[in-house]
Amino acid sequence: MSGYNIFVLVKQVPDQGSKAGINPDGTIDRAKAKRMLNPFDRYALQAALHTKKAYGGTVTAISMGPPPAVEILMEALEHGVDRGFLLSDRRLAASDTLATAYALYKTVLHAGKFDIIFCGLQTTDGDTAQVGPQLAERLDLPQITYCEDFGIENGKVHARRIIEGGIQKVVTEMPVLVTVANSYHPLEYKSFRGAWRVQQLARRQEELKQYIQTIDLDLIGADAERCGLKGSPTIVAWTEKVGEIGGSCTMHEGHSPDEMVHEIIKNTGVREYLVANK
Amino acid sequence: MSEETKPQETPAETPLDVSQFCPKGDVLVVAENILGELQPVSLELLGAGRILADKMERNLLCLVMGHEVGDIPQKMIEYGADTVYVADHEELKNYRTLPYRRVLCDFLESLPEPPHTTLLGSTTTGRDLAPRIAAHFDTGLTADCTELDIGPYEHKSKVDPTKIGLYPNCLYAIRPSFGESLKARILGPWKNPQMATTRPGVMIPNAPDADKKGEIIKIPVNLKDEDCRLVVEETIREISKGIKLTEADVVVAGGYGLGTGEGFELIKKLAACFENSAVGASRKVVDLGWIPYQHQVGQTGKTVRPKLYIACGISGAIQHRVGMSKSHMIIAINKDPDAAIFKFAHHGIVGDCYQIIPEMIKQLTENTVKREVEAVVGTH
Repeated sequence: MSGYNIFVLVKQVPDQGSKAGINPDGTIDRAKAKRMLNPFDRYALQAALHTKKAYGGTVTAISMGPPPAVEILMEALEHGVDRGFLLSDRRLAASDTLATAYALYKTVLHAGKFDIIFCGLQTTDGDTAQVGPQLAERLDLPQITYCEDFGIENGKVHARRIIEGGIQKVVTEMPVLVTVANSYHPLEYKSFRGAWRVQQLARRQEELKQYIQTIDLDLIGADAERCGLKGSPTIVAWTEKVGEIGGSCTMHEGHSPDEMVHEIIKNTGVREYLVANK
Repeated sequence: MSEETKPQETPAETPLDVSQFCPKGDVLVVAENILGELQPVSLELLGAGRILADKMERNLLCLVMGHEVGDIPQKMIEYGADTVYVADHEELKNYRTLPYRRVLCDFLESLPEPPHTTLLGSTTTGRDLAPRIAAHFDTGLTADCTELDIGPYEHKSKVDPTKIGLYPNCLYAIRPSFGESLKARILGPWKNPQMATTRPGVMIPNAPDADKKGEIIKIPVNLKDEDCRLVVEETIREISKGIKLTEADVVVAGGYGLGTGEGFELIKKLAACFENSAVGASRKVVDLGWIPYQHQVGQTGKTVRPKLYIACGISGAIQHRVGMSKSHMIIAINKDPDAAIFKFAHHGIVGDCYQIIPEMIKQLTENTVKREVEAVVGTH
């Protein structure tokens, strides 16, 4: 066995935990916002690296986004990914999930042969969970979404996925696309050596290019008409402020805990729901 | 799909003949069952779908896929469907992406014209299946909608002149937008079916009407070998793991303000004081691994509507709020008096969870005893 060709899709998203770039009215200034690896992709990365460690192979990270997204591919490299592709092209701006899935489909074909594609369950800036399955449809692959356990036995994939109120154990062949739930193992810390190696690499841009390639639509032979706003069947027609509900919160503040709790219990009728005393 | 509804070359100035974009398609709801057990989201989808269909004077169709689905089709009619299509096959017993995808695609292609709108639940099943269908038909799909409506839209953007025009009946798919206190209306009237998924617990089912008439039609299931590339070895339903979050009367939820995952021990203790209660959590703490995903409340977790919701150390970001704001009584405990949660909670305590919660447990358990005494005195 020469090992598996493992792909992992990653995305750079604005850091919602950071106050940088958050306007007073709650909107986001993406240019100023701190950037981070989509938190869900950390589980996909862990699944990819674990699969490589357990069964052998190479891990290729693929991302789509503006040039700064190279940061997350560097981060992936530090964690032990072997190579990365960044699809970056202004014509991709305003792509919805379908256009994104098309562009990634062309990127995956460009990146070569694969056995498994791991994706995060969803991104924190879109929250749709659509791109993974839409990519699987383009590639005509079976898919395992909400995957929380993954292994390979006798050349077959064995996985556990979350369903409503339970779990499903499934077996399938490769190639397969897997979206990894956040109940999978968290991403391990990067090794000191891995981080050091990438830091050294970052100083030698020419050498770095052997590991991380930035590509555009022309290079991968993608039809620009199917990307960006033009290739997107949906648009955000308009947005509206979410009205404050009521604003009639009865506040308890500045008193001792027992006083405040007493007031709350007295005024809210919570005792109605208590476990009946036997 | 009958025919590509892609517009022809049209000068940007002339509004398009919109009739080609808004054909007479009906509204289709894809029902969901697990091993023959109907999922409540199906009834909610029928409720929402009925409103859309009535607004456009269209029919409400429902597709039931599975094996030995019993009285589900009849139930779909009672809850609002005009016509129910049933795909019953042994290979459809467990939900699997590819066989279900095949049946749904074949069904949509078999219709004289595609449905105007197709709705699925934002469940692990709906979110698995809907994107495949949307990609197959190159049509728009909006995930996790909190509201749906039908209305006109005038597209003026010149980026793609072929899309310019006034569209009378568009599906408005409404969902909260990322990190912002904004609701976004997402539209895609250029191609049918216009697709959306809605979160379980958000839409309201109609009251069942046993006299409602409707047609039940069996449809053929033609699977190919390649559709069965994935095999379900086992389906395990969580039965003994306590009350389901979405069905609990009382939800006690913890957030990042707890400071550590051990804070959930306290949350569980408080929840245990209540009958039919469950533990919820904000996304941040789920991401941090303090508590499993199944406890997550909000945009990417579960939507709950309990009688009582106690939010402990939860800031109240929009993503959380959409999952719990319809609770009958919301009590928030937070150190930060400016936390967003106090803007929509009914009662708030500004304080440290580690002081307030133990005090609450103490008083609640004390008070139970006291109340009993009062009750005894009262009846005499």
